[in-house]
Amino acid sequence: MPDLPEHLKKPFVNMLLAAADDKLFLGHRNSEWTGLGPILEEDIAFSSLAQDDMAHASALYELAGSIDGRTPDELAFGRTAEQYRCAAIVEVPDEFDWATAIARRFFCNHFDLLRLTRFSQSAYKPLSDLARRLVAEQQVHVTHVDDWVIRLGTGTPESHKRMQQAMDAIGPLAPELFEPLDDLKPLVDAGLYPGSDFTMYDEWTATVEHVLGQAHLTVQMEVGSPDDRGGRRGVHTQYLAPMLDEMCEVYRLEPKAAW
Amino acid sequence: MSGSANVGVHVDHESKEDPALLAEFQRKIDAGELIEVDDWMPAAYRKGMLMMAEHHANSEIVGALPEGEWITRAPSLRRKLALTAKVQDEVGHGQMLYRVSQDLGKSRDAMLRDLITGKTKYHNCFNYPAPQWADIAMIQWLIDGAAIMNQKTLADGAYGPYVRTMRRINMEEAFHFKSGEDMVLTLMSGTKRQRDMAQEAFDRWWGPSLMFFGPPDKPNARQLPPMRWRMKTVTNDDLRQRFVDRFIPAALDLGLKIHVVTKDEHGFVTSKKPDDKIALNKDTGHWEFTSPDWDEFFRVIRGNGPCNAKRLALRRLSYEQGRWVRQAILNGSGSLPPAA
Ligand SMILES: [Fe+2]
Ligand SMILES: [Fe+2]
Repeated sequence: MPDLPEHLKKPFVNMLLAAADDKLFLGHRNSEWTGLGPILEEDIAFSSLAQDDMAHASALYELAGSIDGRTPDELAFGRTAEQYRCAAIVEVPDEFDWATAIARRFFCNHFDLLRLTRFSQSAYKPLSDLARRLVAEQQVHVTHVDDWVIRLGTGTPESHKRMQQAMDAIGPLAPELFEPLDDLKPLVDAGLYPGSDFTMYDEWTATVEHVLGQAHLTVQMEVGSPDDRGGRRGVHTQYLAPMLDEMCEVYRLEPKAAW
Repeated sequence: MSGSANVGVHVDHESKEDPALLAEFQRKIDAGELIEVDDWMPAAYRKGMLMMAEHHANSEIVGALPEGEWITRAPSLRRKLALTAKVQDEVGHGQMLYRVSQDLGKSRDAMLRDLITGKTKYHNCFNYPAPQWADIAMIQWLIDGAAIMNQKTLADGAYGPYVRTMRRINMEEAFHFKSGEDMVLTLMSGTKRQRDMAQEAFDRWWGPSLMFFGPPDKPNARQLPPMRWRMKTVTNDDLRQRFVDRFIPAALDLGLKIHVVTKDEHGFVTSKKPDDKIALNKDTGHWEFTSPDWDEFFRVIRGNGPCNAKRLALRRLSYEQGRWVRQAILNGSGSLPPAA
């Protein structure tokens, strides 16, 4: 295993967990649609995307675990709510509303593409190798969700109205994806997470707004103050704990057992 | 899962059909040739095949529901991914089978509506509850196992589009079965609590598995149109016997006990005693067992089972929640966004 300076291990693992936790809960929330999607063909496609997200999470947990010694399952199922680093946008339920599900994916997928691209340029080779593989799949996610946003935004008056409502509800949560992690700067300086959050934010907003323009949709987004503590620093919405209780219902029966 | 020929296709007499065409049709079937969608076929055959394929398609998408409930609770990343993929496969089977049915003349929307209004049925076994994780293991082991046995014989049928679909589906079912076997084995080699969970789930699913192949056959089953026309190729009772010959020894090997049970209206076991008929008959080479409660079978199939209302309500919710999406996508450009 290539060397990672001792003092950077903790923030580095923390950064991997933020990415993995976002993916895990996005996939988890979206997997609930398997078998219930609005069109059989899309039910199947959407489930593949959810599986990709959970598989990406699993690979990132494995990498984090190779540094701090925990197994992927311990990382996914064995933490308390405040130990997760996911953003609020993946925690809220979609209330079985397809527009909300699509709006959530839209913001997250574009964010993940940029984050994975930065990972793919990391000086830590195990991460850059992994991320290069994931970026290719992430690109497919982005194309798929953009297409849905545009088709629903420009479909029928009803689909436009529903998409706009979903954007109004989900959009304000989206910039929180950029909440700064603790001790991120040394990772950037060491080339472990190259690039800048400011550039990434500008790129993300430009892309998102471009697609929304094509979809005839608008979104209100405001960046919070760096002092607002959110999911990246363990302060979560009221939805995370119950989601964890459900996800870990069986695991917690016998945490040491094989299932 | 899962499909079946135990839909009880009542095929009308073919007396109105042109005798020469009918004779040629029967000749092709007897010669092992496949019937294709544009070939001449008796009206009763078309109707019967549509019923069968539609029932099978319904079973796949309703069969996705009990397991789908457990996706968010699967106890490891590996199981979570595998279960999501498995349920997704079943939806894919449904989609393929709806396509076979559509080609026989019924629109998909009409089929989905008939399903949620209770006009058409789906496989009976999905009207039973899956209250524990171990039920998922048993469904994938016993029910997918039964489905493979059944569908292998359906792949020997005469209707080309259905036969080819069965071949494709069976490859995936084999994978589901393997994963079920692995889950049951993991539970049975785990802690006492895990073994107890597995036994309780087995007690819930053994009866529905025996019923899977449908009620006992009429004495003349082989002469009736479904078999004469190779819509199905093996009788219900023969399939059931194949199933128990394989699964009784496998269950005993794993340390499971086979019980005769009584259940309450929610499908939960209220009492159980060992099935003392379980024995290998040395003369016939077949395993003997206590027949399932056929009164219960007919009660459940008439809509009064533990989960009939729940399953249909969820399908209806999905249908209604998706309506505006279908209107926007399918009535708009007419095509779907690119596949993921
Ligand atoms: Fe299936
Ligand atoms: Fe299956």
